[in-house]
Amino acid sequence: MNHALRKSMGRIAVAIAAALVAGSAGAGNNFDYCLLCHGASANGNFGIRAPKISGMEPWYLARQLENFATGVRGIPADDVSGHEMGPVGSRVKTEGTLDAAVQFVGTLESKRPATTVRGDTAHGKELYKTCVACHGAKGEGSQALQAPALAARSDWYLATQLANYKLGLRGADERDTYGAQMRAIATTLADEKAITDVVAYINTLK
Amino acid sequence: MKRSVSRRDFLQLAGAVGGSTAVYRAAIALALMPAITHAAKPQLAALTRSRKVLILGGGISGLTAAYELNRKGYEVQVLEASFRAGGRNMTVRNGDRIDETGYPQVCNFDKDPDLYFNCGPARIPGHHKALLNYCKELDVELEPFINDNRNAWVQDDAMFGGKPVRAREYMTDSRGFVAELMSKSMTPEQFSASMTKEDYERLREYLKYLGSLDPGFKYAGSSNAGLALHDYTSPEVLKTPLDGRELLKSRFMAIMSFGETDDQAAMMMEPVGGMDRVPAGFLRKIGHLVQLESQVQKIQVMERGVEVTYRRDGQYIKTRADYVLNCIPMHLLAGIEHNFPKEYAAGLTAIPRGKLFKIGFQMKERFWEKEGIYGGISWTLQDIQQLWYPAHGINRQKGVMLGAYTFDPNAGEKFARLAPAERFKLAIAQGEKIHPGYGSYVESGVSIAWHQMNHMLGCAAQWDEELWKKWFKTLQTPVGNHYLMGDQVSYHPGWQEGAMASAHHAIADIDARERAGAVVAA
Repeated sequence: MNHALRKSMGRIAVAIAAALVAGSAGAGNNFDYCLLCHGASANGNFGIRAPKISGMEPWYLARQLENFATGVRGIPADDVSGHEMGPVGSRVKTEGTLDAAVQFVGTLESKRPATTVRGDTAHGKELYKTCVACHGAKGEGSQALQAPALAARSDWYLATQLANYKLGLRGADERDTYGAQMRAIATTLADEKAITDVVAYINTLK
Repeated sequence: MKRSVSRRDFLQLAGAVGGSTAVYRAAIALALMPAITHAAKPQLAALTRSRKVLILGGGISGLTAAYELNRKGYEVQVLEASFRAGGRNMTVRNGDRIDETGYPQVCNFDKDPDLYFNCGPARIPGHHKALLNYCKELDVELEPFINDNRNAWVQDDAMFGGKPVRAREYMTDSRGFVAELMSKSMTPEQFSASMTKEDYERLREYLKYLGSLDPGFKYAGSSNAGLALHDYTSPEVLKTPLDGRELLKSRFMAIMSFGETDDQAAMMMEPVGGMDRVPAGFLRKIGHLVQLESQVQKIQVMERGVEVTYRRDGQYIKTRADYVLNCIPMHLLAGIEHNFPKEYAAGLTAIPRGKLFKIGFQMKERFWEKEGIYGGISWTLQDIQQLWYPAHGINRQKGVMLGAYTFDPNAGEKFARLAPAERFKLAIAQGEKIHPGYGSYVESGVSIAWHQMNHMLGCAAQWDEELWKKWFKTLQTPVGNHYLMGDQVSYHPGWQEGAMASAHHAIADIDARERAGAVVAA
């Protein structure tokens, strides 16, 4: 094919491409991409191990985005889901849209997630006594203590994070003061059963 | 004097030159064996009443179904979540956005018809009939794609201290080494009685041709490995064979036959100007049916039809259709509100998602052509795994080459975690081992981490035998009037042909139901 013809084909291609692409989309204050991983209304998607973030406290969301942006979270080699959140933290930080992203999550309709973790709730209740001081008897959380609510979160995610704290995949970074506290507590949970039991009990909190 | 060659003679010759695949192909050509059969494109009946079909996702399967159904009178609407249609069929050129969740990028290649990069599918084998037929029907011009180039390099830190060797040298010398060893160690007694003395001799003969052995069954080099000097005014000088034991240290042996596999063997093709000429071809016909930036949030399968709620410009819009063809990647669908049966919903999270990763570099000079490489692939056992040289634009000043294409999910994740500039740095450092000075040619780059791309979060679904057995039928079978589609619901994930097959399968089923309904109505 001669070059002129090719060139004109290229122009046609560009014209078609332009027609295909919607105008406004992109950077700025469109946070629909959060829903991609975290699911409809950010109520969580186990399919890609993205937890429910709707209904989370704004101060907690902001701190975690900050942690992902600065590498306080999401760095250890085995934290595969954390690796995927890391770049998003950097994005909102560099774009200066971190607060707007947090605000967006606040506009979503939070629904109580389905129960996926089952265990010995009586045993879990015993174990949960250690958690009460910071997270509250009803798992309602405390901003003063910077402890997020635990009730009505993705239960599989709570279990994963407890395991991550135990394994040092979270809370091991020296800048992560709150994470270090949580890590110390998580190591008192003897095994996987202890983790599922305590999460099963958290599932009963309203 | 001419001597006619019998079919049997020809097949023997073909076997000696090209191995069993060649015999098989030749036998088909000589009509000794049945030709490869293809699932035929369904012939849909023209619709006699009003039927609305909502297609979720404007990738290859969605566009295929939209095109076919629209022609037969169905009322079709395609809801696409992204700002662009095409799905993983994505070509980037000057100014194009790469919509990665964490690291959005813009392609800064020069404005030039040859300077593009196919981020997803990039090659079409000759037996992908559905796709090739659509290319013809939709005026998508094709040109040859070079997938296998014996002049390209093989590099592995495990052999020759990481120094690259030409693919032809690796293949010829390792085959020579192995063939010589086998012919030396093989004795007639090792074989069963059914193998005659003549059979045994033929086997040795085969090894001789396979390994380019000399009459004494020794491998002493072959011009197949490339000459030491291409000076055609003086006698040929063969290269000294490389150390066979050193060659076998490389795991390249596992990739060596890549260019002989079913989907990767010559002759392959690519659309002139980029793979996205395929969706562009569909969109010329049915572009008006595609609504972009419409992200599905909820799917309710009703007794009759399906209700879908999507998000557009921050608004939630509810719509209803008689049928829904759903091409949303399963792992994303799992996060959408729905009322699917438990078993079906469980399947959505059971298939792992692919994590393939690609880099494209615009090079200020087509330096590889000075090394005698025109198209094809160099292989390395480093993270980047492959370097592709464009088959289009040969002899022009600049070119866009592929600087990484990882199959290993760990390598994909390793790159995906880095910011684009760091990805390029890593890919360049590894490319330097194959082409010294490589980095000095790089003008700009693009990187595609499929498992972090907006509206995708994954490459081809990672089915295996067990998963197929357990989940495929469940996911392929419609729930009410809701069909799951895409290459993810095919036995050929990661190929456009698989996506088209799934579309044909779904619309054939709808057609059958409509025909049955029409009979009942009559």
